[in-house]
Amino acid sequence: MPKYEPILLKNMLQPGYTGSLAEYERAGGYQAIRKVLGKVSPADVTAVVMKSGLRGRGGAGFPTGVKWGFLPKDYQGPRYLCCNADESEPGTFKDRQLIERDPHQLLEGMLLACYAIGAASSYIYIRGEFVLGAKILEQAINEARAAGYVGKNIFGSNTTIDIWVHRGAGAYICGEETALLESLEGKRGLPRVKPPFPATHGLYNKPTVVNNVETLANLPHILNRGAEWFASIGSPPKSTGTRVFCVSGHVARPGNYEVPMGITFRELIYEQAGGMRSDKKLKAFIPGGASAPFLTPDHLDVKLDFESVALAGSMLGSGGVTVMEEGTDMVWAALRLMEFFYHESCGKCSPCREGSSWLVQIMRRIVNKRGQLADLETLTDLCKNIAGRTVCAFGDAEVSPILSTLKHWRHEYVAMIHAAEAANLIRPEPVGAKQ
Amino acid sequence: MLKETHKAEIDDILSRYPVKRSALLPLLYLAQREQGYITEAAMQEIAGLLKLTPPQVYETATFYTMLNLKPVGKFHLQVCKSLMCALVGSDTVIGWISAKLGIKPGETTPDRLFTLSIVECLAACGTGPMMQVNDDYYERLTEEKLDRILADLRQTGTCSLKTGPFMWPEPAPAKPGA
Amino acid sequence: MPDQKPETVRLTIDGTTVAVPKGTLVIEAARRVGVMIPHFCYHPKLKPDANCRMCLVEVEKMPKLQTACSTPVAEGMAVRTATTTVDDAHKSVLEFILANHPLDCPVCDQGGKCDLQDFSHQYTPTTSRFTETKRIFQKEYFSPLIETQMNRCVQCLRCVRYCDEIMDVKALAPVGRGTMTEIKHFGPHELDCEFCGGCIQICPVGAITSRLSMYEYRPWMLKRADTICTFCGDGCRITVQTKGNELIEVNSAHGAGRNNGDLCARGFFGFHASSDADRLTHPLIRREGKLVEATWEDALEYVAEQALRLKLAHSADAFGGLITSRCTNEDLYVFQKFMRQVIGTNRIDSSARYGHLNGVQALRRVQGTHRWTIAFEDIVAANALLLVGTNITETSPITGLKVKEAVKKRQASLVTMEALQPAIDTLSNITNLALQHFPTHPAQFGNTVLGLTKAVIEGNLVDATLAQQAPAFVQRLTSALQGISWENLEAVTGQTRTQWTETAKILAGANRLVILVGNGVLRHPGGDATVTNLLDLLILLGKLDKPGCGLGPLAEENNDQGAVEMGAVAEFFPGPAPLDDQPVRDRIATVWREELPRTPGASLTEMLAAANKGSLKALFVVGENPVGTLPAEAQAAEALGKLDLLVCQELFLTETAAMAHVVLPACSYMEKDGTFTNSEGHVQGVRQAINPVGDSRPDWEMFSALSVLMGSPLEYGDAREILKEIRTVIPGYGLLGPTPTPPKVDQAVLSGYLTQGFAGDAATRYAVSQPRQTGDGSFTLMFVQTLFHSGKLSTHSKGLLQLQQEGFLSINPEDAARLDLADGGQVKVSNSRGAITTTVKIRERVPAGLLWFPEHFDGEAKQLAEWTIDPRTQIPYFKLAHVSLAKVS
Ligand SMILES: Cc1cc2nc3c(=O)[nH]c(=O)nc-3n(C[C@H](O)[C@H](O)[C@H](O)COP(=O)(O)O)c2cc1C
Ligand code: SF4
Ligand code: FES
Repeated sequence: MPKYEPILLKNMLQPGYTGSLAEYERAGGYQAIRKVLGKVSPADVTAVVMKSGLRGRGGAGFPTGVKWGFLPKDYQGPRYLCCNADESEPGTFKDRQLIERDPHQLLEGMLLACYAIGAASSYIYIRGEFVLGAKILEQAINEARAAGYVGKNIFGSNTTIDIWVHRGAGAYICGEETALLESLEGKRGLPRVKPPFPATHGLYNKPTVVNNVETLANLPHILNRGAEWFASIGSPPKSTGTRVFCVSGHVARPGNYEVPMGITFRELIYEQAGGMRSDKKLKAFIPGGASAPFLTPDHLDVKLDFESVALAGSMLGSGGVTVMEEGTDMVWAALRLMEFFYHESCGKCSPCREGSSWLVQIMRRIVNKRGQLADLETLTDLCKNIAGRTVCAFGDAEVSPILSTLKHWRHEYVAMIHAAEAANLIRPEPVGAKQ
Repeated sequence: MLKETHKAEIDDILSRYPVKRSALLPLLYLAQREQGYITEAAMQEIAGLLKLTPPQVYETATFYTMLNLKPVGKFHLQVCKSLMCALVGSDTVIGWISAKLGIKPGETTPDRLFTLSIVECLAACGTGPMMQVNDDYYERLTEEKLDRILADLRQTGTCSLKTGPFMWPEPAPAKPGA
Repeated sequence: MPDQKPETVRLTIDGTTVAVPKGTLVIEAARRVGVMIPHFCYHPKLKPDANCRMCLVEVEKMPKLQTACSTPVAEGMAVRTATTTVDDAHKSVLEFILANHPLDCPVCDQGGKCDLQDFSHQYTPTTSRFTETKRIFQKEYFSPLIETQMNRCVQCLRCVRYCDEIMDVKALAPVGRGTMTEIKHFGPHELDCEFCGGCIQICPVGAITSRLSMYEYRPWMLKRADTICTFCGDGCRITVQTKGNELIEVNSAHGAGRNNGDLCARGFFGFHASSDADRLTHPLIRREGKLVEATWEDALEYVAEQALRLKLAHSADAFGGLITSRCTNEDLYVFQKFMRQVIGTNRIDSSARYGHLNGVQALRRVQGTHRWTIAFEDIVAANALLLVGTNITETSPITGLKVKEAVKKRQASLVTMEALQPAIDTLSNITNLALQHFPTHPAQFGNTVLGLTKAVIEGNLVDATLAQQAPAFVQRLTSALQGISWENLEAVTGQTRTQWTETAKILAGANRLVILVGNGVLRHPGGDATVTNLLDLLILLGKLDKPGCGLGPLAEENNDQGAVEMGAVAEFFPGPAPLDDQPVRDRIATVWREELPRTPGASLTEMLAAANKGSLKALFVVGENPVGTLPAEAQAAEALGKLDLLVCQELFLTETAAMAHVVLPACSYMEKDGTFTNSEGHVQGVRQAINPVGDSRPDWEMFSALSVLMGSPLEYGDAREILKEIRTVIPGYGLLGPTPTPPKVDQAVLSGYLTQGFAGDAATRYAVSQPRQTGDGSFTLMFVQTLFHSGKLSTHSKGLLQLQQEGFLSINPEDAARLDLADGGQVKVSNSRGAITTTVKIRERVPAGLLWFPEHFDGEAKQLAEWTIDPRTQIPYFKLAHVSLAKVS
């Protein structure tokens, strides 16, 4: 028996569970939607979710019920729900598991969300690489449609809720909610300027809610077991429920661990994930996906909830915890992430577009022993000039690996530069063109 | 022409969206599935189907890395090199593939069987090093596994080492008879 | 012209309080108080995209800097643009933008008028911290007229957004992602689009420039003249830039002119027509059958002598005059005055005859105006627009932009009736924006309008007060239309009753309804009846004299409207006033100090007939080319061949000029001052940009000189003096101003029309016109205007010739497939009049059964055209033919 009661992973942890409609129903699936459909008003469903304290699992941690509440009340035209299954934040691989192992849990969550916001159509925007996930979802939707759970007059009510799978095609930025909408509209995935927010001007300019897979998957449980139950889990009042943390890197047992929010990183890494993979000590970890600033062993006792991690100078983000052991080259690690951001910048904002290419080039020079001390000044400066000055949060994200490694491991940068000076290799090196 | 060969599928795709342009990515995928990459003629046809200009299709097609505007090998090996995979040895995997196939990243073998690409995070960070070959993921790669994958792909076009439905750590196996 | 006063919002910009309408963006509010916030991606015409991040400002109570270009003002907002934080932000964004920029200003055509240069200068970066390798894009050939240098691009996407939001062309694609994004067309293909030049104009840096002037200048070397384009009736303001006497570039500034800085290919790339090497530079006199160079003295004296001799030998009515509506009002005025006062005849005509008169006459008849009662602003503000017989993108592109703006930005409902198929290709297609589109055969506009009127009446959409005020009118139309069955209308037009019914509801439901009529109606038989019926439709809907409602005929040539108003047509004195309008006659006579001729006028076709019969002896032709433009059946060459005196004032040695006794080299619009009056009746100043080419002179000057030699001097110091006289003849004429006040419906005329005026021809106007039966083939060939040319003048422009340099036959794909015709292949087009072989161009926008041939290159082809003359209006029609096709292998 695991130490904590799993909620989202409960079904799939049952031996032999395949995620079929029959099995999902046998495990108590589609009870929540049956319970509310036509019996509880959409506003009351929203109220329950609001009361549960559920916050978005996609990265920003925005309270889900509050987000739903922003939709215009008296708007007559269509509204949409988009499930964000783009899962592209390096270090994150939980949505993939939730989709591939228990698709109906997500579908039921979507039905509940659609019912609450009055959407008759919804789309699952799934990253293009998840070919298997898309197939599994399509099959599940077909099963549900055949059973009368998706489509016209679901469960014999007069409510129509359709769900479609829409595959992305390789662009991290499409996880950003407005870029996702643009992409879903068949355009380049460039984030939109906000306001207006999707709640009023979303998909096709209609009121729209974008929610992460894990967020939605929580809904059946909240409606089955009540807001109070959910709010009692984790680190109330602000970080309620469990989260599926994705542990990667130099641990003994990397993988997805569903635990209540509020346990410490130490517990997650050393108990759940089996500790370090060798006798090398932990040197650094990223607490919430590539966009979250690096933390050090000093932070192992920080609690895994939104506020505590923010207080420690990072963020809980998407729940991707990447662990690095002693001996990992932190400049190299920062460069790896910087290369990711350079590759994925959509190119809309000048600071992000030009800054990411500039930062990558400086970082490569330093790693290739062609750096200068003045580069560190420039790096810091450029990072400050990008953060907070872009359309979307990508700008803030891309600078966090460099800023945080510079903060904690500046000496490693300096050592590399001294090595460069010793070798007298100071000259710029051409970068390869972006593919 | 896709319109003739895939009419039902195209109609089905179009029926999902209130605005035609939304069908753009699905149709580009369809074109890529048919020809291995997206040809100019396909973009033109899709533009016609969706009432877009060809440049509108083109700008979208070039934004996404999974859409190939040039032919790729029969098996497109895409190795993740983002930090999480790199921590557990993705660079080594790339080195192995390069050596075994005699191609550098971005290149295709002369028999047009394999193309090697280096890609960013594929959301399999806990099971790295990993690669995607066409539609399939191969995770926790080792040199032996890689040899078998390449050999199987050559011989049968697929390999049973592909992974998914994904779950990690793996659940306990089902009790026989339960 | 919004109906309500907008709400105002008060805010402070750097401490200065300013009140602006709600919805104004901070960047615009700042501009009001003289604070210029630096920006690249913002442009007032475009939706904010906030991508360059250059315009960051501090807004009180907001933790982060905000982009002024995308932040709307709010009550009590406090904006600071001059703090250190803001300044640092601007510097840093600029540093990013400059990082990958090649800094090749010395060889960049934008140097000196570049936003990037200006801001760099303003923020004086001392040294660049960027020591890495710059991104490099491979140079690609973009198009014959537009050059790209993508290394200079700041990725503001203004070009892409303009091409989509304003032009609706969508030819530009930002390709790739991140720093490697570059602007392209489609794959490796060179640009194929409307070539409006908008991307060049809106690019804040030198990434997109004109090839016509590449490397030819530095901006500070150029002299500028603000003038008006001569290639269509829209009357766009252009700024002509010259170096020495060389034409270098044309552009148009945002905010300038009726076009608000937008242009089409003709305006932007067509200016070289004036400097074509074929321009006539010296007077020519026919000696021993050959035209030889002569001095001005010799040429003018020769003309004066001959004219005096012929006037003595015959009568004043042995003379005729024909002038192009491309001339300035001043030219037109002096021309008609010369003909009427010095020669003494009313036998004059202009190219307004070809169609514009149809529109003017209908307006005069029904509402007593000769001008639109609406302006471009009303098009933009309309709730519903009905376009009849105008492929507006190709004929009146800027009026077309106003329509696009109404639909795209203000959600107006658009109804189009045109021989055009909604299809997407390299040119925008107005029918794509239509809520209802009637694909109309060129002979069916009249019947299609009948269907609409019938639907209005039968749908009980007739204005209630009208039925009381003008029962006879309503009853007459009702009974006439009851007599026409829907089946019959559906059969002849191919349209459906439902569509008429739906459309009638749309039009009736619109507060502001604007109808625009183009040459598909105006230049075809029955044109004046159709325009009159459309005015009837407005009356029935109770909208003729409602604010923001009205009908506008679209002029084909830049000064068609001026030609009519200057009295350069057979039936009008300046005003325009009919020849029998005694008060006007008296007024003009007082100014001219001379009685006006009493004999009737003669139209172009009447003059040709008279010349053929031998009763017309002398003809003054100004810029018109009947031999080159009219089909053989008009017998223009035969007629002109019989004249004793043919004088041509021309830019080029046209087919007509080649027959002349004397050819006088005229100045083009680039070389003279004056005024043009556009479609909507806006009188605008034409300003000289270069010195006259060779010895050429403005047309009015030639008439002035001749008048002196002929003993009745019409002397003017300059064009301004002429305009002054025009003003005394037509009170208030040509007050150049920002917006014309459109004339109002004359209620007396309208009530006269409603009681009696309508009745005379109601029976013929409200009857189904049956398609003409010809023995010829089953295809209808239309000679059409195209976007890349204007008449034949533009065929002298080297830029436009790169876009289109010969005739070709546009055909629908299905028809082409049926006849096994391939794009680019050859086809024989024939009928009983003749046959030509030409190149096939397959275009989805051409409706099945129709064929298009550009009239600008009609040369051989025009012999195929049918020639009819309206007996009442004397308007000649020759833009249609029935033909058969055969593949040529
Ligand atoms: C650059 C960027 C990438 C993002 N990627 C993802 C993603 O892959 N998956 C996701 O669910 N949310 C992602 N987000 C967050 C979404 O914008 C959005 O906040 C989320 O989908 C809302 O759902 P939630 O409230 O359920 O978390 C991303 C945000 C940014 C700025
Ligand atoms: S911050 Fe970067 S990723 Fe986000 S919109 Fe701007 S350029 Fe695109
Ligand atoms: S002008 Fe505001 S972001 Fe470009």
